[in-house]
Amino acid sequence: MSMEYFRKMKGSSQSPPRVKLPEIVWSWIGGFLGIAMVGYLNDRFFEGTDLILIIGSFGASAVLIFGAVKSPLAQPPNLLGGHVFSALIGVTAYKVLTPYPWLAGAVGVATAIAVMHATKTLHPPGGATALIAVIGGEKVHNLGYLYAAIPVAAGAAIMLAVALLINNIPKARKYPEFWI
Amino acid sequence: MFDGKLSGSGISIGGRKERIMQSDQRDAAISLSGVGLTDEDIYEAMRTIPGYIDITPADFKELYCIAYMHARERFARSESAKDIMVERVIHVPPDAPLVEVAEILSQNRISGLPVIDRDRRVVGIISEKDILSHLGIEDTASFMAIVARCVRAGGCISLPAQAPTAGEIMTAPAITVRADTDLLEIIRLLSENRINRLPVTDSEGRLIGILARSDILNTTLRSGTCPWNISGR
Repeated sequence: MSMEYFRKMKGSSQSPPRVKLPEIVWSWIGGFLGIAMVGYLNDRFFEGTDLILIIGSFGASAVLIFGAVKSPLAQPPNLLGGHVFSALIGVTAYKVLTPYPWLAGAVGVATAIAVMHATKTLHPPGGATALIAVIGGEKVHNLGYLYAAIPVAAGAAIMLAVALLINNIPKARKYPEFWI
Repeated sequence: MFDGKLSGSGISIGGRKERIMQSDQRDAAISLSGVGLTDEDIYEAMRTIPGYIDITPADFKELYCIAYMHARERFARSESAKDIMVERVIHVPPDAPLVEVAEILSQNRISGLPVIDRDRRVVGIISEKDILSHLGIEDTASFMAIVARCVRAGGCISLPAQAPTAGEIMTAPAITVRADTDLLEIIRLLSENRINRLPVTDSEGRLIGILARSDILNTTLRSGTCPWNISGR
């Protein structure tokens, strides 16, 4: 095991090629519009209320759905399912393990990964969504399970709508690859 | 005349003889391994596709290799003798004199043919190898062996006084296949028996066609495109 174990750390393949300029530009446009939409609606309608529409993990989702459009991780079931499952798991972990935030966070994220795998909805930002349920502060804690609906499901759905509208404009792009 | 590039070397395009010989049946089947997909090929292909591809070249290569094995096997099972065989078969009766057989081989630029009886039943197969070994040249007979022998002896082979017939020097019984024998089995038979052609017979053993190694090469390389190619998108 020993030599093999360390040899694996050297890596054995290479990084995929750099994308061309149009791809970079469209990724920027999509990322901008996706986050702008969620952020604007949050500021316009949720400011001053107990509710929120935007959370940090949407930034990570934007990378996938606008920057790696073809990735299985960026497809609609992953975007929506990954966030919603992870939110429910995060809230539950917080409720059950409130006295131990470090443990609640770890259990929440680890379980989110496992459940996303099992449901074929792996979406890396889901891990952040689960963690935010634990370390996101009082406003998030007060939402309880509503967190899974607003901001998580609603925000993800808005991002999905933007992705569908924007990613299908360029000839070289199409979204999604699959719905189920 | 001597199809040296095909005989005795498996079906390897890359010509890696030893590997093909030792490998199992699966590997012996239509080895295109000589074509060898490199990481650079994959990287170049990825560059032609717009958009970020969420996979490393190494992962792609592994996937490709496994998928290719599946495709290869499916292909080898979908093609059968009747799809590949040539129906117009040059053949001789058992009593054809050796000199006539040699002339037929030479005129038709082939290196072997089936021997059939009056009912078209395949009774044997006669190839250059059979003729050469009849002339006293070792089993590993090749054209170069004859040249070497001629040069060394300062003269060339003299035929034995009694000119034999095809029936006397043919290899019998011939290894044959039926019309529905699949390509995988055909390749295994050619490879394991180190032969270059297989007569195809009906249920009564009557000749209906012939398969040569070269026909198989044509079949396997016939379709070489990627219909799902991204450029059409």
